[in-house]
Amino acid sequence: MNLAQVRTPKNLLAAAILALALAVPFLAGQNLYLLTVLVLMLIFIIYSSAWNFLTFSGQGSLGHAAFLGLGGYAASLATVRLGLPPLLTLVLGGLFSAFIGILIGITCVRLREWFLAMVTFGFAVIIQTLVVSQLAPVTGGWDGFAVQKIVPTSVPGYLVLEYYVVLLIAVLVLVLFSFLLRSRIGLALAAIRENETEARAAGINPVPFKLFAFGLSAFVSGIAGGLEIFHFGYITPEIFGIDLSFWPIIYSITGGLGTLAGPVIGTIVVTLLWDGLNVLGLTYGRFIIIGVLLVLIIIFLPRGLVSLPEEIGKKRGRKGK
Amino acid sequence: MDGGIAVLGQVAFWGLYSGCIYILLATGLNLIFGVMKVVNFAHGEFLMLGTYITFFFFVISGFNPYLLLFLSIPILIGAGIIVERLCFRPILGTGKLNEIFISLGLIYIFQNGVAMVFTDEWRSMKSPFADLTIGIGPIQLPLDYIIIVVITAIILVGLSVFLDRTTTGKAIRASSQNRRGAMLMGINVERMDMLTFGIGAGLAGAAGTLWAVSGQVFSPYMGSVPAIKGFAIIILGGLGSIPGAIIGGLAIGMVENFTAFFLGGSWKDAISFILLIVVLLVRPTGLFGEAGE
Repeated sequence: MNLAQVRTPKNLLAAAILALALAVPFLAGQNLYLLTVLVLMLIFIIYSSAWNFLTFSGQGSLGHAAFLGLGGYAASLATVRLGLPPLLTLVLGGLFSAFIGILIGITCVRLREWFLAMVTFGFAVIIQTLVVSQLAPVTGGWDGFAVQKIVPTSVPGYLVLEYYVVLLIAVLVLVLFSFLLRSRIGLALAAIRENETEARAAGINPVPFKLFAFGLSAFVSGIAGGLEIFHFGYITPEIFGIDLSFWPIIYSITGGLGTLAGPVIGTIVVTLLWDGLNVLGLTYGRFIIIGVLLVLIIIFLPRGLVSLPEEIGKKRGRKGK
Repeated sequence: MDGGIAVLGQVAFWGLYSGCIYILLATGLNLIFGVMKVVNFAHGEFLMLGTYITFFFFVISGFNPYLLLFLSIPILIGAGIIVERLCFRPILGTGKLNEIFISLGLIYIFQNGVAMVFTDEWRSMKSPFADLTIGIGPIQLPLDYIIIVVITAIILVGLSVFLDRTTTGKAIRASSQNRRGAMLMGINVERMDMLTFGIGAGLAGAAGTLWAVSGQVFSPYMGSVPAIKGFAIIILGGLGSIPGAIIGGLAIGMVENFTAFFLGGSWKDAISFILLIVVLLVRPTGLFGEAGE
C-alpha cells in the first residue's frame, strides 16, 4: 500500500474521528455524564456493527438482544460464580453467545430471510422466558443480580479507564470487520447476499459462510452485552427486550446498511438526537421522531446517511447540466 | 374425573376464543401477503389502534361495545389504506428486509403516538355482558366469548363471500394469483394493494375491538407480539391460504392456553415460537407452504 492509497478522504476522516475519540477524556475532563453517554455509545457501536455484519451475508435478525443478553448473562455469571476477571469473562460470554448463535444459524440457514427474522425474534422471547422462569434460581429471575464493574469504582478516574477499554474493543472490532470484508470471506459473503443460486454455481457453499457470519455476529454482540453489564454493574432480563433488538437495526439503517461506517455514524447521530430530544422533554415524541426518521430514510435515502454526500453531489450535478 | 374434563373443556374454549383474535390477524396478514407479497410487522399496531378506538368511544358514548365494530373496522380500513400508500408502495419490490425495517418505524410511530394521547398504562374495559355465563354440561362459558366466536365466524363468512362472489373480490384474488396477468386483464393492481391492505387492517381493527370487549388488558405496546404470532400462524398454516390461517390460529390459541394452564402463564408467548421453530426445522417452507416468496 502506498501513501496515496492510505490518504483517501475516508481514511483521513476515520483517523480524525479516532483522534477525537482518544482526546475526548482530556477535553471533557471529569464530566461523568458525557463520559457515560460516550461509553454507552461505543458499546452500541460495537453491537450495531455486529448486527450489521450479519446483513453482509444477506441474513437479518429481529432478535439480536438474545445474543446481547446471552453474552451478558454468561459473562456476569462467570464473574460472580467463578470469580474470574471481567476482561476474561467478556470473551467467555462472547464465545457462549457465538455457540448458541451457530446453533440458531444451523436451524435457519435453509430459511427465507423473513422467516429468519421471525425465528430470531421468537428466540429472544423464548430465552427471556427461560431466564425468568426455569432458570430463575441461577439468574435471579426478573430481579437480576449485581456484578462488579469492568474497572472497579475505587480506582481513581475509573470511568476514563473504562472509556479507553471500550474504545479499544470498538476499534478492534471495526478493524476485524474491515479486514474480513476485504478478504475472500467478504467477497464470498457479498456473492451469497446478491444471489445465492449464482454463488452456489460459482462453487461457493453458502452454509459455512452464513454460519460464520452468524457466529461472529453473535460473538461480538455477546461481548457488547458483557460490556454493557460491566458498565452498569447490574443485569436484569430486560436485556432481552424488544427495544434492544430494534436499536441496532435503527442505528444501522440510519447510518447506512451494509457499510462499515453506517452503524458507527448511525449510532452517533441517533444517540445524540435521542439524548437531545430527551433534554427537550419529549418522552414519547422522540420515539415518534425516530420512527418518522426511519421511514423517511428507508424511502428516500435507502443507503443511509453515509450516502448523503454522494446523493447531494448527484443532485448538484443534475442541476449543473 | 368429571371436574377434570370440565376444566380441560374450559381451557379448550379459552383457546378457541384467543384463536379467534389470531385468526382475524392472520387472515388479514395472509390477504396482504397474497396480493402484495409484503411483510408488515406493524400489523399488530392496527390491533392496538382497534382496542383504543373501542375504549375511547365506549367511554365517551357508552354504546354497546360490539356496535363499535362498525366504527373500528372502517377507521382501520382508512388507516391501512393511508399506510399502504405512504409507506409500503414506495418500497414495493425492494426486498423483504426493507419491509420489515419500515414496519419498525411504523411500530414506533403508532405505539408512541397512542402513548402520548392515552399514556402507557395498562387499561381494560368491562363489557355489559361481563357477568353472564352460559352452562353447557359442566362447563360455564362466558357469554362474551361465545359472542366473539360467533362474530369472528360471521366476519370470515362475509369475507369469503366478498372474495368469491363480488367483482372486486375476484380482482383481489386474481392479483394474488398472478399480479402481471391481473394487470393485463385491466385490473388496477395498485388499487387492489390499497384495498387489500385496508381490509387486512380492518380485520385487525375488528380483532382489537373483540380483544378490548373480552376484558383483556391492553397498552400502546401490546401489538408487536400478537403480530409476530400472526406471522407464525401463516407460516404454520401456509402462505396465502385462508383455511390454513384459520386452522393455524385455532392451533396456536389452543396450544397457548393449554401451555399456560400446565406450565404457567410465563410460557404463553414463548410456546408459539417454540412451535414455529420446531415446524421450520422439519419443514423450512412451513406446514402447508409450497411456493411464494
